[in-house]
Amino acid sequence: MGRTGKTRKYSLTWVGALSFLGLASVASSAFAQQANPGLADLSLEELANLQITSVSRRAERLSDAAASIFAITGDDIRRSGVTSLPEALRLAPNLQVARVDARQYAISARGFNSTTANKLLVLIDGRTVYTPLFSGVFWDAQDVFLDDVQRIEVISGPGATLWGANAVNGIINVITRPASETKGLLVFAGAGNRESGIGARYGTDLSGGAFRVYGKGFDRDNTVRANGTNVPDGWQNGQAGFRADWGTLANGFTLQGDAYRGTIDQLAPGDVRISGGNLLARWSRELAAGSHLQFQAYFDQTEREIPGTFIERLGTFDVEFQHAFQPTAGHYLTWGGGHRSARDRVTNSAGLAFLPASVTQRWSNLFVQDEIALGERLRFTAGVKAASNPYTGWELLPSARLAWKVDASQMVWGALSRAVRAPARLDRDLFIPGQPPFLLSGGPDFRSEIANVAELGYRAQPSQRLSYSLTAFRAVYDRLRSIEPIGGGALMIDNKMKARTNGLEAWGNFQAAANWRLSAGATFLDEHRSFRADSGDSNLAGAGNDPKRQFLLRSSLDLPGQQEFDVMARHVARLPSPAVPSYTAVDARYAWRLQKELEISVTAQNLFDKRHPESGAAATRSEIERGVFVKVKWLH
Amino acid sequence: MVALIKHVVLLIAALLAAESALGQGERGLETQIKAAFLYKFGGFVEWPAGAFARADSTFSIGVLGADGVAAELERLVAGRTVHGRAIAVQKLKRGEPLAGLHLLFIGQPEASRLPEILSAAKGQALLIVTETEDALARGSMINFITVDDKVRFDVALPPAERGQLRISSRLLAVARKVITG
Repeated sequence: MGRTGKTRKYSLTWVGALSFLGLASVASSAFAQQANPGLADLSLEELANLQITSVSRRAERLSDAAASIFAITGDDIRRSGVTSLPEALRLAPNLQVARVDARQYAISARGFNSTTANKLLVLIDGRTVYTPLFSGVFWDAQDVFLDDVQRIEVISGPGATLWGANAVNGIINVITRPASETKGLLVFAGAGNRESGIGARYGTDLSGGAFRVYGKGFDRDNTVRANGTNVPDGWQNGQAGFRADWGTLANGFTLQGDAYRGTIDQLAPGDVRISGGNLLARWSRELAAGSHLQFQAYFDQTEREIPGTFIERLGTFDVEFQHAFQPTAGHYLTWGGGHRSARDRVTNSAGLAFLPASVTQRWSNLFVQDEIALGERLRFTAGVKAASNPYTGWELLPSARLAWKVDASQMVWGALSRAVRAPARLDRDLFIPGQPPFLLSGGPDFRSEIANVAELGYRAQPSQRLSYSLTAFRAVYDRLRSIEPIGGGALMIDNKMKARTNGLEAWGNFQAAANWRLSAGATFLDEHRSFRADSGDSNLAGAGNDPKRQFLLRSSLDLPGQQEFDVMARHVARLPSPAVPSYTAVDARYAWRLQKELEISVTAQNLFDKRHPESGAAATRSEIERGVFVKVKWLH
Repeated sequence: MVALIKHVVLLIAALLAAESALGQGERGLETQIKAAFLYKFGGFVEWPAGAFARADSTFSIGVLGADGVAAELERLVAGRTVHGRAIAVQKLKRGEPLAGLHLLFIGQPEASRLPEILSAAKGQALLIVTETEDALARGSMINFITVDDKVRFDVALPPAERGQLRISSRLLAVARKVITG
């Protein structure tokens, strides 16, 4: 990271930040008080649990957690004007989000980013969104009704003890609002040069609870190459779903589900088709003061047909429970377990094969974590998870965290964790081409990838207006995936890459005035990859393509007469291999609430940039064009 | 690493400089949380049919002696509804009539006038919320109290029942204490 020669280029960002803040101090004298409309989206329970002296000022309950957590609120999402979940994730400074084409994204935290990134765990309302094909996420199949999202918690760093294998570099937790908070009718329609979409949600009371149902659809335009030619990747998608809640969050029952279907253009031989659905039930019970029990079960079915490549049909059944209680004063014990079974059926093509084509795989886990109060200001949390996977059996994932509340507005925390990325079908079962003799074979002895991670963090809220968070981390990875020559020109997947990353994550919020909030974020990543001495691989770039720096600046301004004006600028440094130039993208949104029920908004993305690439090799990659989107929303 | 440290130091210095120039924020999260609760309470209380003149009458919240809460509330309810009704927030002055209100929040400075307010609101379905220690004993229905740096609330059911208000069990489940009479 010590590239002092490049400082000048980025210092412009800070000049921008400083002038922003200078303006802030002038404008703020006109306003006396703070504002936090996002609080209205919290439940009664959550409001009652908010610390008045919230470390993060934005009032997240996770603000006391000894981890690098950033929460994207529903209000943030609404005010950004984004229309998809991956685009919303750009709001988190501790994530790297690269749009690959109209439907594909590469999303990761702390490095190793690619479309098959495999070190991030993503959950939507407690349902793991995951393909055992490569231990990652097909982002084109993950959608939510964005207006109903309460918040997205983004944890960078390992969370394996509570969340399990795959939570190596981070966790994304998408949380939708309970049905009791989404009553009434909401209809929206939007159109722009890159996409158009419509959606509706209706929520109402149910005996002893509440219920909502939604439907949405969109049509996204294809992307283009650098020379302006079209890439045939336009797509249409429709999704519908419901959620019903009875009782309270602490003592209640939730049933929810979604179904989706999409068609994506590709070059011959035919359109990509995706479809699927899921159904989830959650039951929680307060047994006594401080003792809480929760059961959850879901079924998820997803299909993906990429003509000429493969067809996958995956059915997942997952059940888990968790019990938290206070065995003695000063201890808060959480334990639980889960089991998942998945039936994965792949129809192979001439180009590649997963062998065996159909498998039923099982994963189990048991975990225990104790949070111990060591005096008034010191909290020590130690836990371990034992998780089994179909390839390497049981693995241990321990972690220890220490949090020190210096005073009411400052916290220092540190953590040591060991996380593993369990083998996926891609590591063991992949063969190219689809028939022998194979050029590339999955590694029959491929083992779990290992990460040992140390983190040190500081969070402070020096005043009601300002809060910030700093996290430094160092991670040592071993047994990363490599591709080894095995003679005769053939290759086999193995575990012979190592890596070391050092980095820093920083973000802050500043309430410049009652009607003006500024947010800034920055991440710095220094990554060293190497091969073991006995490796014959030479392609270090295969493990992912990451920027060394990334900056984010947001301004949220409320104007008189129910108008909102938001600007977000992000700078992503160049990617090394394949080389992608650095870029700065500025997005802006203006919204005007004409009546209580009616809102019109205009969102522009890449305002000062006709188009730019975010991922991939120059010859074949898509570029992301400037986009303008007009949306009308009606609430009743 | 040097460049990195410079960047971070610069960011923090900029934020701190701007912050000290502005001085301390006047209002805290406490005001915001109370305002959010007031909005939320509406959804967990049932008013008698006669409390609303028309099917499209607004849900009216009065705030007395707590202008900060009123300002927060005004911002927060924009575009939101209670029982499908648009919300109107009124900043009240001492002695202003209470007719047409559905919820009244009385700030600490006006707490001593509780008996007077109660008699003025007699026969009206008015949910009264306060933030004063012994207010429930004097006829308030919901009273905010700060416990362990958190804004909690106690509920007194008898005065609510007298006002023909039905408080949902979900609200009672979150209450710190429920007085049943």
